[in-house]
Amino acid sequence: MEFDFALIVESVPKMATGIGITLQLLVLATIIGTALAVCTVLMRISKIPLLSWPAMVYIYIFRGTPMLVQIFLIYYGLSQFQAVRDSFFWIALRDPFWCAIIAFSVNVGAYTAEILRGGIQGVDEGQLRAATALGLSKSQRFIHITTPIAIRLALPAFGNETVSLLKSTALASTITMFDITGVARTIMAQTFAPYEIFISAAIVYLFIAWFIQIGVALAERRFSRHMQR
Amino acid sequence: MNVVVSSIVLSFMMASLASAETLRVGMECTYHPFNYRDSSGKLQGYDVDVAKEVAVRIGAELTFVCQKWDGMIPALLANKFDIVVASMSITNKRKKKIDFSYPYRVSIGQFIGPKSKNLKLFNADGSLNLKGFNGVRIGIERATTYSNWIEAKVPDADIAFYDSNEAMYLDLKAGRVDAIMTNPMKAFLRFLSKPDGAGYEVVGPQLAEEEYFGIGVGIGMRKGNDALMARLDKALKSMTKDGSLERFAKKIFPFTIHPLD
Repeated sequence: MEFDFALIVESVPKMATGIGITLQLLVLATIIGTALAVCTVLMRISKIPLLSWPAMVYIYIFRGTPMLVQIFLIYYGLSQFQAVRDSFFWIALRDPFWCAIIAFSVNVGAYTAEILRGGIQGVDEGQLRAATALGLSKSQRFIHITTPIAIRLALPAFGNETVSLLKSTALASTITMFDITGVARTIMAQTFAPYEIFISAAIVYLFIAWFIQIGVALAERRFSRHMQR
Repeated sequence: MNVVVSSIVLSFMMASLASAETLRVGMECTYHPFNYRDSSGKLQGYDVDVAKEVAVRIGAELTFVCQKWDGMIPALLANKFDIVVASMSITNKRKKKIDFSYPYRVSIGQFIGPKSKNLKLFNADGSLNLKGFNGVRIGIERATTYSNWIEAKVPDADIAFYDSNEAMYLDLKAGRVDAIMTNPMKAFLRFLSKPDGAGYEVVGPQLAEEEYFGIGVGIGMRKGNDALMARLDKALKSMTKDGSLERFAKKIFPFTIHPLD
């Protein structure tokens, strides 16, 4: 078996047709998931058990099970029930795209909630006491002191989570989606050249991951601009 | 001297007359419904029926040799048996090593959809109705003969590719795809004949274009057995003509599975 370099050059543009789907999955799931994470972390750090317990259970379930299993449960599992198929939700659940969005979003929600909690708990106590001394109320302290510091502390881990989500979007190819991996698997099955095709797919993923890293680095600089000199 | 030689020749001839030619047939014996043992241990199935009938027509005795699939061609080449009647598809790669008879089974594809959808993918005369594919999502296994066929014949088709048969059937039942294209024999055995498949039917004719689906399944034999091949071909063609192959197929399926030309 010879290595066909020309096939890589030929395949990368073909993967481009899958980039659109991969990016849509990535961006939408990040937005929805982050919104979910903010709600979850607010519940999670609450002192009211009725709020913190459901958040803990949610985080535990989605961090503790493989995402592939979750996708299969949402896509194949739910569709098994006639009641689900007759319900209003079937409009979204019928479509593999929305099944993937749901699975990715709840995962991002669970992981990012924990990342944010780490950020919040990492806020230096002295700064909060200083804020109290200046007469800031509890909610003012949370919005003006805790939140910006927590975001800065959470950013590197959040960047990791986004790159990790990018890679997880490849799982969408298992439910008939034509994302980068889905396209790659189809071309591979036609050309019988797995090495060249998946190298091409890997190159495309690396390229997107690079943009995410740049984006996170820029955000980190912005949130820590008070420390630059 | 002459007398001795001719008596030896005579005894040879008599021996060959007394014990008729014996054909040893290689098959898996585990490939339902084509060659398998029933609950009483007897070999059954389409391949078995074909092999028995061929033997009758060429006037040979049969013995069956059970052989695992991956060693089938090596065992044939090693003279463990004389012919392979094991649902072996005729491919160019295999033809480099062994010869094949005239096909006794075709490779076919067919659409399957819910009865309620009343799909019109084909016209009454069996020709493709491209308009009938509008708004119809078709489930197909990735990189199969079926996907090659549909990409060539219906380039605008809305296709969902699956990595497994199971997933494809799940989505057909869930209504995520409106029809699937697959092997009707498998579809009949595992789906259409089961309670699950009650609301579903085959849509349009059996598709068997050789350039997509291949020639079909033939009897394999070692190269250089041209006389045997001619006899097998003659037997198989007469079995096609007189309805024997149809009869064997209809013991299992509600349709025929042999070449129609």
